[in-house]
Amino acid sequence: MDAEPLKRFLKTEGATLVGIGDVTAALSSEIIHLRRGIAIAVNRNLNRETVDQLIRLQALAEGWLRAKGYRSLSIPADSDRKKDKMITKLYKLFCHKTAATCSGLGWVGKNGLLINREYGSKLSWATVLTNAPFRADAPTSQSECGDCDLCVRHCPSGAVKGEHWTLADPLKEIVSYEKCRALKTRRISHSSKPNCGFCITVCPYSRNGNNHGTT
Amino acid sequence: MADEARKKEIYEKLRNGVIQYDEDACREGAQEALDAGLDANEAIFDGLVSGMEEVGRLFEAQEYFVPEILMCADALYAGLDILKPHCKQMDLGVRGSVVIGTVEGDVHDIGKNLVKMMFDVAGFHVYDLGRDVPLDKFVDEQLKTDSELVCLSAMMTTSMVGMPTVIEKIKAKNPDCMIMIGGAPTSKDLADKWGADGYAEDASNALKEAIKMVGFLKKLRDEKLNKK
Repeated sequence: MDAEPLKRFLKTEGATLVGIGDVTAALSSEIIHLRRGIAIAVNRNLNRETVDQLIRLQALAEGWLRAKGYRSLSIPADSDRKKDKMITKLYKLFCHKTAATCSGLGWVGKNGLLINREYGSKLSWATVLTNAPFRADAPTSQSECGDCDLCVRHCPSGAVKGEHWTLADPLKEIVSYEKCRALKTRRISHSSKPNCGFCITVCPYSRNGNNHGTT
Repeated sequence: MADEARKKEIYEKLRNGVIQYDEDACREGAQEALDAGLDANEAIFDGLVSGMEEVGRLFEAQEYFVPEILMCADALYAGLDILKPHCKQMDLGVRGSVVIGTVEGDVHDIGKNLVKMMFDVAGFHVYDLGRDVPLDKFVDEQLKTDSELVCLSAMMTTSMVGMPTVIEKIKAKNPDCMIMIGGAPTSKDLADKWGADGYAEDASNALKEAIKMVGFLKKLRDEKLNKK
């Protein structure tokens, strides 16, 4: 089944990137019937408006699929997860990076973040899983970070190890989340922005003349 | 007091709200039930639970999958949260409290949460210890709350092995306490071997068992009403 009409539709509605990934290998038994991941990205700062935009795009995708008789499950943006719901349990079974890499929209960089060749890490992601039998895009299987180790050298907590990600071993710990979190915890007491963000600011792909959208 | 047609309409709204996982409809329906002076227990059983029974049927027919079930459960809770404070304690002989949790080393708690929902609906007082619960915490909590029932859940074989320790310790201190175990690696044989009083296989079976149990409660209640 051709996914182009859906991709075009979501892009006219404001999506920056839309990809279709075969995510079968990453699915746990609860959601194993939803074999395609629709990765949706917008190139905006992650704030309330961006989240609302992603929610709107997901709802549009779900409606489009429903009208054709397919199932779907929206995995909301990471910053929009209501904590006390039963359905929330399913969200953490699936990670947006999986949909993005499986649909060829980027790789997981040495900094542990999804890097897109054009936009770097300056994208906000949401995923819609579906059982619609879309023809999947070609996945990204290798990191394209190469020899660059700017994020390794600039990470103030020493969390970035310099490992290469591969699609074959997506669970390898590339960044020591413990060290990253420890720094964040220390910063919370004296900063309103506890995420230091150096690993994004120094990344050539994220710098690459790419400002966020107008916001 | 609302007339029969209005009552039916409200229960139908609650029922459909659960089936179509529409939290807003459940919230509205619950509020309408209260405003119309309907019995909160009845609204729960003839509205919300009736919807969940249909959800169970749809699940068996493979029309619904786990995501839908969880969304339906969220819708049920949206209504339940409003109706619960207005419930009279049901006199069905099932009053009680239950300690529930996923054992140490295990963070899978979807099944546990569905079972918890059944106890919430049935009016139990639920002490939910959450997931990855240290074994002794179950024993302590049971003693502290004097709960009649303890439910242990695990999805992984590696964490399941902690169950017999908990069962043994609780039974040593309190032989009358009923213990149920559940989760994919458990079985009736294991439950028997470890001295547990009951078992449910996994999240979907837990839901089925939950619905059966709530259905049974409903029948008891209906029989009681008919006798009056």
